[in-house]
Amino acid sequence: MKIVIVGAGEVGYHIASRLAFENKDVVVVDKNADALRRVSENTDVQTITGSGSSPSVLEEAGIRKAEILLAVTNQDETNLVACLVADMLSPTTKKIARIRGADFDQYHKTFQSQPPHIDTVINPEIEVVKTIERLMRAPGAADVGEFAQGRIKFVGVYLDRNARLAGVRLSELPEKIGQRRLLIAVIVREEQVIIPTGKDKLLPGDLIYFICEENQMSEIMSIFEKRAKPVKRVLIVGGGRIGYRLAVRLETQSINCKIIERSASRCAELAEKLDKTVVLRGDGTDQNLLSEENVGDIDVVITLTNDEETNILTSLLATKMGAAKAIIKINKFSYFPLMKAIGIEQVVSPRLSAINTILQHIRRGKVLSAVALKGEQAEVMEVVALETSDIVGTPLRRISFPKGAIVAGIVRGEQIIIPTGDSIVEPNDHIIVFAQRHAIGGIEKLMAVKLEYF
Amino acid sequence: MRWRYILYVVGALIFFVGLSMLLPLAFGLYYRDHSVAVLLKSIGVTVSTGALLFIAFRSQRQETLRQSEGMAIVALGWTAAGLFGALPFFLEGGTLRFVDAFFESVSGFTTTGASILTDIEALPKGLLMWRSFIQWLGGMGIIVLSIAILPFLGVGGMQLYKAEVPSPVPDKLKPRIRDTATILWKVYALFSVAQIIMLMLGGMGFFDAVCHTFTTMPTGGFSTKNASIAHFDSLFMDGVIIFFMLLSGINFSLHYQMLRGRPLAFWKDGECRFFLAAVGGCIALVALDLSRYDVYDSIGEAVRYGAFQVVSIITTTGYATADYEQWPAMSQLILLTCMFLGASAGSTGGGMKCLRIMLCFKYCYRELFLLLHPRAVVTIKMGGKGVPDDVMRSVLGFLSLYVGLFVISAIAMGGLGVDFVTAITAVATAMGNVGPGFGSVGPVENYAHLPQAAKWLLIWCMLLGRLEIFTVLIFIVPAYWRK
Repeated sequence: MKIVIVGAGEVGYHIASRLAFENKDVVVVDKNADALRRVSENTDVQTITGSGSSPSVLEEAGIRKAEILLAVTNQDETNLVACLVADMLSPTTKKIARIRGADFDQYHKTFQSQPPHIDTVINPEIEVVKTIERLMRAPGAADVGEFAQGRIKFVGVYLDRNARLAGVRLSELPEKIGQRRLLIAVIVREEQVIIPTGKDKLLPGDLIYFICEENQMSEIMSIFEKRAKPVKRVLIVGGGRIGYRLAVRLETQSINCKIIERSASRCAELAEKLDKTVVLRGDGTDQNLLSEENVGDIDVVITLTNDEETNILTSLLATKMGAAKAIIKINKFSYFPLMKAIGIEQVVSPRLSAINTILQHIRRGKVLSAVALKGEQAEVMEVVALETSDIVGTPLRRISFPKGAIVAGIVRGEQIIIPTGDSIVEPNDHIIVFAQRHAIGGIEKLMAVKLEYF
Repeated sequence: MRWRYILYVVGALIFFVGLSMLLPLAFGLYYRDHSVAVLLKSIGVTVSTGALLFIAFRSQRQETLRQSEGMAIVALGWTAAGLFGALPFFLEGGTLRFVDAFFESVSGFTTTGASILTDIEALPKGLLMWRSFIQWLGGMGIIVLSIAILPFLGVGGMQLYKAEVPSPVPDKLKPRIRDTATILWKVYALFSVAQIIMLMLGGMGFFDAVCHTFTTMPTGGFSTKNASIAHFDSLFMDGVIIFFMLLSGINFSLHYQMLRGRPLAFWKDGECRFFLAAVGGCIALVALDLSRYDVYDSIGEAVRYGAFQVVSIITTTGYATADYEQWPAMSQLILLTCMFLGASAGSTGGGMKCLRIMLCFKYCYRELFLLLHPRAVVTIKMGGKGVPDDVMRSVLGFLSLYVGLFVISAIAMGGLGVDFVTAITAVATAMGNVGPGFGSVGPVENYAHLPQAAKWLLIWCMLLGRLEIFTVLIFIVPAYWRK
């Protein structure tokens, strides 16, 4: 499978290294030779220096043989032109473009039906706003994803130091929590992804991922002793595009919202566009401003400025001053491992969101959606079980699953099953699979290899 | 540095070298000569050492490889291949000292073709085959071969590839390094088959045809005959071998493009044009010089022997059909220059490589031009594209290191009691992976009489030349060992 990626920025780089790891043929195109050198030194991909919107460069990259074109430069115009050129040269290539401008929002569908025929338009800002909303609705969760049109959530929580479940073996879990069945799919411990067995213990500080139905969520969260009041008051620091989108969404849910923004002209713009939101001009790290605005009564502080360090410091300051919790935006991937150490649990990243969205479109077979876990070492996929696939018709314990993968849920019509070794997957079930990075190829094969069989 | 992981990969390579001894063993069994026992012993030792390292350190497997580790693996891997490849020569008859066997083996793997054997024809067939086969393995690179056939190297494969094939401008034929390595080996194997057929059409026996192909394609130069190619004394065979030596001296990615249906690829590539022009120019000068002094009876013979020697030296093969020691001075100096010049980047040939020389010329021209037009903006171009400054820097660094190391090694050779001409040319020919030099290591002589220490020095020079200096030299940089 050949994939051409235009743009060697953070998103392009991470997708390229992911795909190269899975033995796909990847060609990365960028104007900037230095950015390309970083890609070619660390991953096994081909690189071409040149503009991704130029027909001759795309020819050279082998666009005619590529199955997918990913246009992920930081310029919407370049991405659009790259797709347009690809559409001319090779109409069968699937095109995915990252387009961030809000002006394009209403035209995503038009891009699909008319040239440049972009199959999927990804706006990471919209994705980030969705993620923030999900995190706000699941207080205490560090990571929330959705499957089966939102009916199933996969949730990651940090186990507190003196939590009831700390030190408990997974096999003892049912007695400890009563009748409720809970399948713990993945534990992230010190940046290592572990697919646990009954013998593994839960330790304080672990990031634990489980699958549950939407309506059970608060119940299960209480097992982990994570309770929080519903969100009534929100403070947004940074009135950029994401901040504005989020404020608009919050207004419709009648949540009390304040925005702190540094630039006077942007403040004026925001005040004009927003009705109920209080727009404050100032610096998010200004302690006086925060106490004036009663930061202690705020339920969630969301820091969305373009400066990573400001985001981190502001949220630390706000929680110190009594804000119930903080969600922060981080772009640099190298900062992720630090977040837990400084006590920040809820992190969103437009780039990670973009990567997640792109991933589900690259997966072969009937993969409906896929989400990368923190640190990208593992992935969760929702897959349609095809009649011809090996997974159908035999009890799960007898299927030779790749090491490092686990079936975490089966969705059959309205029913949601938490599987055991005896569960049997039926054709057209949707199954939810957790897989470590090295097991992904194996899973893809298991689910889809027979697709090519007529 | 994760040394245990490095040993794990090197173990796999040693294991692989042991397995490759099965081919000469098959020939030994077929001809029923006394190389069978020797080869069996060598296989036993090599395979078990490799397997031991591989199994002992298998828990050390890593997902990624750093560049410095890749260099360590390549340098250690080549040294180990030389050591274990020496076993058959060392065990055979017991007449060779260890340093001699090691010299022969490294000369084989690095495709130099310098020999310490006085009577080659006395060797059993199995060993002759091993001698040729290690050149064939070393020519395209044992690491590249391993990347192509050993999937577990896949992830760090690129670091290894860059350390073994340090072309100034790396060209990846396919997005994945493994596919690139496979393609290169396929082209290599395809040409080899073609050459075997051509040589057999010329009347060479199957065994000799295979052996000579195994030493032509990698531009190695070991022959199964004491008199090298002169033994066959056939115009047709000279022609076939010249043709295949030239092919091997051209970038293999151009061969791939040609086989994909782009015959003009050779012409469009600046380096290839430069290389062919250099070959043509040298042949013309040497032929004129030879006929001026009436070394040969006719101008036709002067062209025939001139062409063979020039192509053999410039592609760093090292076959001989004439004793160029008897030639006039200008021809000899041209041959000496060819030893330094070498073949194209991305070919199996050695030397400084035409691409680097070309870039150096362009750089010098730019300096001159800037004296005339101090405010001019001039970019050095290669194939219509600007050459980045860091590539230019590494090229100039390489050339100065090459010359510097040549000077130091030649002085050291002199210090070991080797005469002036021999000291200079032996080092030049070892670093360029050519084979024969001048003086007492000329085309009709060998390296047996050199002092032991001189042989060790030349072994080091051959490895320096084959791995293009940086990979070997990095070990003596103190910063490499600092934590």
